[in-house]
Amino acid sequence: MTLAEENGPERGGDDLLAAEYVLGVLPADERQIASGRIDAETGFARLVDSWEVHLSPMAAAYAEVEPPATVKPAIDRRLFSSTAASTTAAPSGSLWASLAFWRGLTAAALAALVLYVAVPYLRPPVVVPQERLVASLAADGSDVKYLVVYDAGRRDVGLSLVSGERAAGKDFELWMIEGKNAPVSMGVIPTGQTTHIAVTPAVQQKLAQGAVLAVSVEPTGGSPTGQPTGPVVAAGDLKGI
Amino acid sequence: MTPQDISTLIVRTSMKDRAAFDLLYRQTSAKLFGVCLRVLRDRGDAEEALQEVFVKVWTKADRFAVSDLSPISWLVAIARNHAIDRIRSRRKPAADIGAALDVADPGPGPEAMVVAGGESERIYQCLEELEQDRAQAVRGAYLNGESYADLAERHKVPLNTMRTWLRRSLLKLRECLER
Repeated sequence: MTLAEENGPERGGDDLLAAEYVLGVLPADERQIASGRIDAETGFARLVDSWEVHLSPMAAAYAEVEPPATVKPAIDRRLFSSTAASTTAAPSGSLWASLAFWRGLTAAALAALVLYVAVPYLRPPVVVPQERLVASLAADGSDVKYLVVYDAGRRDVGLSLVSGERAAGKDFELWMIEGKNAPVSMGVIPTGQTTHIAVTPAVQQKLAQGAVLAVSVEPTGGSPTGQPTGPVVAAGDLKGI
Repeated sequence: MTPQDISTLIVRTSMKDRAAFDLLYRQTSAKLFGVCLRVLRDRGDAEEALQEVFVKVWTKADRFAVSDLSPISWLVAIARNHAIDRIRSRRKPAADIGAALDVADPGPGPEAMVVAGGESERIYQCLEELEQDRAQAVRGAYLNGESYADLAERHKVPLNTMRTWLRRSLLKLRECLER
């Protein structure tokens, strides 16, 4: 029996090639070709990913070994030594790259809002405010921009509309996205320049630094399905002040 | 750190958040260094490889979103593939094939199997359906990054025979995994 027969005509050799790539047994030139196809062909990339998933439990056998302290500084030199320029030289066209850029532009506005929101809590100055996180929400191809301040102690999200308007018969809904989980609704954003949304205990447990907030366009009253149904017009991640 | 936390760090790294990247390194570099070291069997080489791996993680973190892998498995896959690419491009064959066999392989141990859960048991069950030496070749290739050429030399068979042999094992594994 030949390999082609074993492999079955409907599959072609790609699934087996993906397996060989993941297993790691291919010679250099064939690995290079396979690696090029992962970048170029979604279908092949999916076969490879599926084999990675199948075989990954074997990786439990890799022992942890602390690398020497010199490695991390060397990585940072490689990535960031050409000054701050490298941090903004993110891949162009990506939402997050433009967010980072936009975030830089609005740093001053953000600082002003933080001060505005924080001032009432700064008296007396010795009181350390409870955890407060901020996010600036924006997206490519959208003029909707919000500044967000989350006050964990008061379970309150303060939203300041910087620009953009909702269309007639539409509402903006705020979502929290944590890791790879499905978005969780935090509610319809009330109309107005400066508004607040109370945070439910369930959301509060997950709302932490690094969570992503997003604003979608929904029918009046919010998404009928519990998941975003309209386009995301602004998004950003929560960061410590 | 839970897998969820590692996911969050990868997502934040994709947004070029350096604090998240630093934390991600602290949490995962020991595992990834273990991978590089085992495949490359040379400390200097493994240190160099680990640097390159984290440079990749920084630049390609956005790809995590389209993978079905758990966050730590996604990172391990980057490190493994990078270390294997590196060892394949070495001019002369691995210094000492025998050395690879001396590396203690604790095997999947009962704890690891319990921790990793159902999917983990599946691959181990399927490996058990293979003849013992073939299952060993699959595990050895995966963990040590051995090539067809390495395996052929060790088992003293022609390279094409080894390839046929291993491909049949992979087909059997696939059939079992999909059962």
